[in-house]
Amino acid sequence: MANLLARAFHGLNQVRRGLATVFGHSFREPITKEYPQIVPDITTNFRGRLALTVNPETGDHLCISCRQCERVCPDKCIEITSAKSAETGKLELIDFKIDHGLCMFCGLCTEVCPTYCIINTNDFELSEYAREDLIYDLKKLTLSQDESAFYFERKEMPIPKPKPAKAAPAAGAAAAAKPAAAAGAAAPAAASAAAPAAAGASAAKAEAPKAEEKKEEKKEEPKAEAPKAEEKKEEKKEEPKAEAPKAEEKKEEKKEEPKADSPAAEEKKD
Amino acid sequence: MISNGAEIGKLTLLSLVWLTIVFTAVWMATWAVGILLPMLLQNGLGERAMLINEILRFVTPVVSILVFIPINAMFMVLIERRALALFTVRKGPNIVGPDGYLQTAADAVKLLFKEDITPIGADAVMFTLAPIVFFAPSIFGAVPLLAAVTNNHALFQVLNLPTGIFYVLAAASVPVVALVMAGWSSNNKYSLVGGLRSAAQAISYEIPLVLSIITICVLAGTLDLVKITEQQAGGILNWNLLGGGALSGIDKYLAAMISGQPVGSILQASYPFSALSAVATGALICCTIISFWLYLTGACAEINRIPFDLPEAESELVSGYNTEYSGIKFAIFFLAEFTNLFVVSSIATVMFLGGGDNPIPVWILDKLPLVPQLVQALRDSFLVQTLHLINPETLFSTLWVILKVYSLVFFAILIRGTLPRFRIDQLMDFGWKRLIPLSLIVFVIVVFARGLVNCHG
Repeated sequence: MANLLARAFHGLNQVRRGLATVFGHSFREPITKEYPQIVPDITTNFRGRLALTVNPETGDHLCISCRQCERVCPDKCIEITSAKSAETGKLELIDFKIDHGLCMFCGLCTEVCPTYCIINTNDFELSEYAREDLIYDLKKLTLSQDESAFYFERKEMPIPKPKPAKAAPAAGAAAAAKPAAAAGAAAPAAASAAAPAAAGASAAKAEAPKAEEKKEEKKEEPKAEAPKAEEKKEEKKEEPKAEAPKAEEKKEEKKEEPKADSPAAEEKKD
Repeated sequence: MISNGAEIGKLTLLSLVWLTIVFTAVWMATWAVGILLPMLLQNGLGERAMLINEILRFVTPVVSILVFIPINAMFMVLIERRALALFTVRKGPNIVGPDGYLQTAADAVKLLFKEDITPIGADAVMFTLAPIVFFAPSIFGAVPLLAAVTNNHALFQVLNLPTGIFYVLAAASVPVVALVMAGWSSNNKYSLVGGLRSAAQAISYEIPLVLSIITICVLAGTLDLVKITEQQAGGILNWNLLGGGALSGIDKYLAAMISGQPVGSILQASYPFSALSAVATGALICCTIISFWLYLTGACAEINRIPFDLPEAESELVSGYNTEYSGIKFAIFFLAEFTNLFVVSSIATVMFLGGGDNPIPVWILDKLPLVPQLVQALRDSFLVQTLHLINPETLFSTLWVILKVYSLVFFAILIRGTLPRFRIDQLMDFGWKRLIPLSLIVFVIVVFARGLVNCHG
């Protein structure tokens, strides 16, 4: 009997405590975010809809058709169509399709992209009326210049240098003739009017053997690196002599790009 | 400390606005049918109005209830959702209309326009009859309560019964039949299990419920709801919740002492055996408080509210007996559930919390400034004198009833937000092995203790 009473009081006390706790909750700030009206804060590394950036300064498309994203994609949801241009001998992007219905937003494609072209945006409102509408083509994927600038700033990606507009074909021609020298020449051409870039030249030299085999890719390599060299140059224009070591140091810091480039070159063989 | 003032403020405002809408609508309807129409008829028809007036006297309470139930259910669903949102740190419906005021109205409209489906293999007649049988008792069962909660207003006296509470309880046990009907006729296993569970549960929990009410009836010495309310007038010490009149001797003593009248033998009259009476008073107070708790538990089970919502357990039975219902039939089930919640809260108010009585004892109330002047000003106003729109006594007692009833409703919502659902065997254990013996013990103690003290009866 005493046991029963003790249990009854214990139970009642538990209920009272529960009621008090729940009532106390009514004085808390609601955690509800009224979503369509108030879009929640999204972190910079949020993996939303995939998109292709353009150069935020010049508007050039950044994709170099290296197909690394297509290869690395676990879901095989990326499909790149490209063709070798007759004039320049470079791969030109014809179409870029991503099936967001298949994509699992793992972000691997953005990690392998050598030019920061494919990125995860903050957009997560992907609903469509038909499954086919989830297949985005090049036009739908490519961001505008302003949007690209926004994401380059937000994700703290280095802004690429503009493509050497007229110099590139010339450099290509030179490379075809004399690979090692052409690589050295391509960098100054890209730097346009600045002093010869030691960094660009050295990088080109290091890959000279490969360059002999694959001319088209080589042209892109110096290009991708040239902006870097230039960036550093602009920073330290007063000390042209100190340039070369510094540029090299910085290259080491940002090893991803050259590293990403060389496998790219290998993979592009097939 | 309170970081949620805005939401609480919104909820309070919502309750006030909706309560105003609900009771204004009800009173306007009642006044139009019960007072304005006879007045006009008297002028127009003269003698022939007698018969029509007689009919109108009976129609008025029914009209008021019929107007009241849907609007009130809409309000209660809304307040339940908003209050639950508060307890679970959410916001609740706040889009439709100004700050979500019209959410339930929109829901009701949606439900009415939904297709009314009778599943294949269902017993169509029973299937259609079940919601009606479920809903009807909350209309005709609530009628005797009207006079009690409106301070015996002239319009509602007609339907008052000498056996009021008995009738109300009898009506309250009818819906169980409807639930079994709904469960059986749906041709669905889950519905059938839900219906049978509801029968088992209602049979188990009606006993403590009725025993706790009988305890109060023994103390009051009557079944008449109006008399029970009148007995409890004059402050919280007279309420059945505190000993069923065991403390009214003290109340009278204090009143006499404050007003300077001779105290005399007031205490002696109420408590004839000094020490024994004191013990009996204490026992009565304990017993009535336990009775109140028993009543709330039993009522919760009777109307299938969480934590006793086994008949419609969403997670186990896919909402049980109303799985197959859609459209207007489902709406009727929904309406009846919330009406039942209101009805059991009203019974608790009338039986335990003094109906429309002011909790402040009269001898304090008379000393307060401005209250008599306010009442007098209201009494002299145009509304009362010419149109008979407001009856001051009814107004104040109704306000207190509303406050008490909705406090109990709010408490039910709080319990819903707190307690998890019983398991069926726990439910039966708790009902038969705990509540019924407890209610019997309380009943026996009250029967003996009331001989030692002067109670209401």
